[in-house]
Amino acid sequence: MSENKIIVGAGEVFGKVMVFSGKAACSDGLDIVLDAGARADVTLIVLPGASVSSRFSIELAGADADCRLSGIYLCPDGEKVDIRVDMKHLVPQCTSCQTFKGVVSGFSSVNFYGKITVEPGSQKTEAYQANHSLLLSDTAKVHTEPQLEIYADDVKCSHGATVGKLNEDEQFYMRTRGISLEDAKVLQMISFVAPVLDGIADEAQRMKLHEEIENAIRNGFGK
Amino acid sequence: MAESDILLKIEGLRARVEEKEILKGIDLTIRKGEVHAVMGPNGAGKSTLSAVLAGKPQFTVTEGSIVFNGKNLLEMSPEERAWAGIFLSFQYPVEIPGVSITNFMKTAVNSKRKALGEEPLSAAAFLKLMREKMEFVGMKQEFAKREMNVGFSGGEKKRNEIFQMAMLDPVLSILDETDSGLDVDALRIVANGVNALKSPEKSAIVITHYQRLLDYIVPDVVHVLKNGRIVRTAGKELVAEIEANGYDSIG
Repeated sequence: MSENKIIVGAGEVFGKVMVFSGKAACSDGLDIVLDAGARADVTLIVLPGASVSSRFSIELAGADADCRLSGIYLCPDGEKVDIRVDMKHLVPQCTSCQTFKGVVSGFSSVNFYGKITVEPGSQKTEAYQANHSLLLSDTAKVHTEPQLEIYADDVKCSHGATVGKLNEDEQFYMRTRGISLEDAKVLQMISFVAPVLDGIADEAQRMKLHEEIENAIRNGFGK
Repeated sequence: MAESDILLKIEGLRARVEEKEILKGIDLTIRKGEVHAVMGPNGAGKSTLSAVLAGKPQFTVTEGSIVFNGKNLLEMSPEERAWAGIFLSFQYPVEIPGVSITNFMKTAVNSKRKALGEEPLSAAAFLKLMREKMEFVGMKQEFAKREMNVGFSGGEKKRNEIFQMAMLDPVLSILDETDSGLDVDALRIVANGVNALKSPEKSAIVITHYQRLLDYIVPDVVHVLKNGRIVRTAGKELVAEIEANGYDSIG
C-alpha cells in the first residue's frame, strides 16, 4: 500500500468519508502518516449489500498529531465486513480515537481487528478504541479483537468492545405509545449508530450521511 | 346502565410471568367517564394488571378475557392497543438514549394517525401541539430536544408521562403508581393533568398504594387488590378506611 501512502504535513488537516454501497465486494484502505500537529478525520460507512475489506494503517509521527477514525457497518443479510486498524503512536503527545459501530443480522459476518501500538518513549499518548455491535440473528457473527501494545508508561489508553441486542424494555415503552415494533427497532438502531457521525465537521455532509444511514436502516432492517 | 356504556370488561383474568401466577381471577368493569382506583399492598399484582392491559410480552394470560370498546384486547399488540386509545403511564419510565422527545412523539403521533387512516400532522401543527402540551404539564420547552427520559429526575419523568398522555389523548389512561417519588407540587401538576383530560367518554385506572394522589384525582370506584384477586370494591369512602386501618383489615 506504500504507493497510496498519504502524508499529512505539519499542521495540516486531512478528512475523508468512505461510503460503500451496492452488491460488489471490494477491498480498500488507507495508509496515513501524520506529521507534527496534523489531524486526520476518517469515516468508513458500509451500507447494506456491500461486503468490504478495509485496512487502515496510521502512523502518528509528529508531536500533537491527532487521528479520529470512525466507522458504521450495516449488514442485514449476508454481508461480510472485515476491518483492520493498525494505529501506531511513534512519538510522544499524540492522540487517536477509534469508534466503530454496526448492526449485524441475517447470515452476515463482521470481523474487527484493531491494534494500538505505543512505541517506547511515546509518553503522553492518548489512544482510545471502541467497537460496539448489535447482533440481531442467531446466524450472524461478530468477531472483535482489540489489541493494545504499550511500551511507554505515561499514557492514557483504553479499548472497549461489546456485542449486544436491542433492549426489549425500550421496545415495549415505545409500543405502548403507538410506535410499531418495526419502527421502534429502526429508532433503536439509528440511535445506536448515529453518534459515530457526530465527529464529522461539515454539517451538510453530516446531515446527508445521517439521512442516508436512516434510510438504509429503514430499508435494510425495518421489515 | 346499558352495555354500550362499558369501556373495559375484564372477566376471570389469570396471568403469569414465567412460571409464577400473579393474577388469579380478576373481574373488573369500567364504564365510560369513570375513574377507578386500584389499591393494594406491594406484590398484590397491581403493576402486573397494568402491564397485561398494555400487552407486555413477558406476561402470559392463561385464562379469562378482556374486552375493550367491544374488541378482544388480548388479540391486539401493544401498539394496536395504543392506537385503540389505551395509554399506560409507567411506574418506571424507560430511558431511550439517542431518541429525542420530539422525534419520539412525532413517530408516536403519526403512527396512531396512520393506523386511524389520517394524514400525518404537518411539522408546524405537530410543533404547536408539542408546545401546548408541554406548557400544560409545566415542562420547559428545552425538554423537546432532550433524549427520552435520559438524566431526568423522578418528577420530570412522571411529568413527561403525563405530557405523552396529553399528546396521545387516550380513551383509557392507566396510571401505574404515578405518584411514587413525587413531591406535592409535582403531584398536583400530574393530578391537574389527569383531571383536565377527563370527559364523559374517557376513563382512567389509577393504581396506587396511598391516599395521597386520590385526594387530587377523586375516584368513582375503589378496588383493593390482594394476592392476585380483587377482594373489595366500593366507593371513594374505602380510601379513608384503608388509610385508617391498612390493608390487613380488608379482604
